[in-house]
Amino acid sequence: MKVLTLILAGGRGERLYPLTRDRAKPAVPFGGIYRIIDFTLTNCLHSGIRQILILTQYRSFSLEKHVQLGWNILCTKLGEFLHVVSAQQRVDELWYQGTADAVYQNLYILQQIRPELTLILSGDHLYKMDYRPMLQFHMDHCAELTVATLPQPKELSRHLGVIEMDRENRVVSFQEKPLNPRCMPDDPTRILASMGIYVFETRKMVRRLIEDAKSDSQHDFGRNIIPKMVESGDKVYSYVFRDPRTLEPMYWRDVGTVGSFWQAHMDLLGESPAFDLYDPNWPILTHEIWAPPARIMPVRNRGNGEIFDSMVSNGCVIEGSSVVRSVLSPNVSVEAGAEVTDSVLMEGVRVGRGARLRKVIVDKRSIIPAGRSIGYDLEEDRRLFTVCEDGVVVIPADSILE
Amino acid sequence: MPTVLIVDDEKNLLELYRSELSADGYEVLVASTGKEAVELLQKKKPDVVVMDIRMPEMDGIEALGKVVARHKNIPVIINTAFSAYQEDFRAWAAEEYVIKSSDLTELRKALKRVLKKSSSSSP
Repeated sequence: MKVLTLILAGGRGERLYPLTRDRAKPAVPFGGIYRIIDFTLTNCLHSGIRQILILTQYRSFSLEKHVQLGWNILCTKLGEFLHVVSAQQRVDELWYQGTADAVYQNLYILQQIRPELTLILSGDHLYKMDYRPMLQFHMDHCAELTVATLPQPKELSRHLGVIEMDRENRVVSFQEKPLNPRCMPDDPTRILASMGIYVFETRKMVRRLIEDAKSDSQHDFGRNIIPKMVESGDKVYSYVFRDPRTLEPMYWRDVGTVGSFWQAHMDLLGESPAFDLYDPNWPILTHEIWAPPARIMPVRNRGNGEIFDSMVSNGCVIEGSSVVRSVLSPNVSVEAGAEVTDSVLMEGVRVGRGARLRKVIVDKRSIIPAGRSIGYDLEEDRRLFTVCEDGVVVIPADSILE
Repeated sequence: MPTVLIVDDEKNLLELYRSELSADGYEVLVASTGKEAVELLQKKKPDVVVMDIRMPEMDGIEALGKVVARHKNIPVIINTAFSAYQEDFRAWAAEEYVIKSSDLTELRKALKRVLKKSSSSSP
């Protein structure tokens, strides 16, 4: 069965601003050395998927550069490919109007490749998933569309697509981001949420995309295409993403907001992290930045340099300072007496002597001056920085503070 | 009277369609390339477009995409000598697919179906 995989990477990611000021959401650095899109691409690789297109639109340079440097690993001689496809205005003089329109405007590629199944993925989700059982489920059920789902707390419904299915997993209703969701029959505290992962029978998808292009619509899979297919009686099934051994729901996070992005970093830490990057059976691939090993050194009269429950990447220099529950990208320096707590420091950040950071995300190359405190007085921080509702402060890239 | 826009680069065929369909009572507009058709649609709003595929300047597939994007309510009938485009995903945006012939029987039937459908779906 010929499967083409399309990774949607064109969203603006406005709720992640200022991390998305100069890059698309899938290109935002995550977990010290990765970019968000690495997780979806790694899933493809571990699922034996080798025909992949990444559809981009806004601020795509950083993403393109990363994919070119880190993911030039497929073999075109074997029919494998991983291409970044920019929005080209091939149909008319319009950018993508929605997720469905992004695929509709690329029908010419589908026509060239003629896949029997089209796997649609999102470039900005964090999870580890083998897509093969889902593809098999789709074929076993002779489905026209299979939506990957997982239980989520009811409170998140306004950010998610909510699915109701029957005993045979056939989808009977689909609500996009509802305020009053239909909960799971056996658990009124949880909803069955769409993960934004779809397997389509390609011919059916094309017909539905064309219909949608001709109608007044937001041209969105979640808002328009899927509800329409469910209403029309198309064979739409729900594939529930569970641990194959324990049947428990697996980790999946849509890092749509600064708060969820920060929380996803905290999920990497602790004794048994919710999201484990150290699974030898599931190595995450990326473009590596070459740097010397991390160095933790004492400074006379200022302590030994202490790191507790943190991830520290190559090239970091921690001089007589303390780093607690934090994730540090390559080449970060933390100078004597500084304290970094519950924070995410991206590549090349410098924290000056005696500075204190708590619950702060610092984007690349920013310099925190000596003695400065951020994250301790949110009223003060709000005057200068983005502070999200969970109290996380974000310092944009290349900031030089006074 | 319904207005039909015929798009074809073969001049003699255009004349044939014009005389036959005018005799049927249609008001007939003509364009000889996709580009010409797209430009004409900025000024005129026919009830249906009959589109050839292989044409110079802009082919019928590209013109079809522009018609769908700009004039969602104007149905298009593909009218081509080649059956292979029937499987082209982009051609599926047309309401009907007719194999071109000097006998207009199939085209006439398609026109009737399309106009009936659009009159029943319009408010």
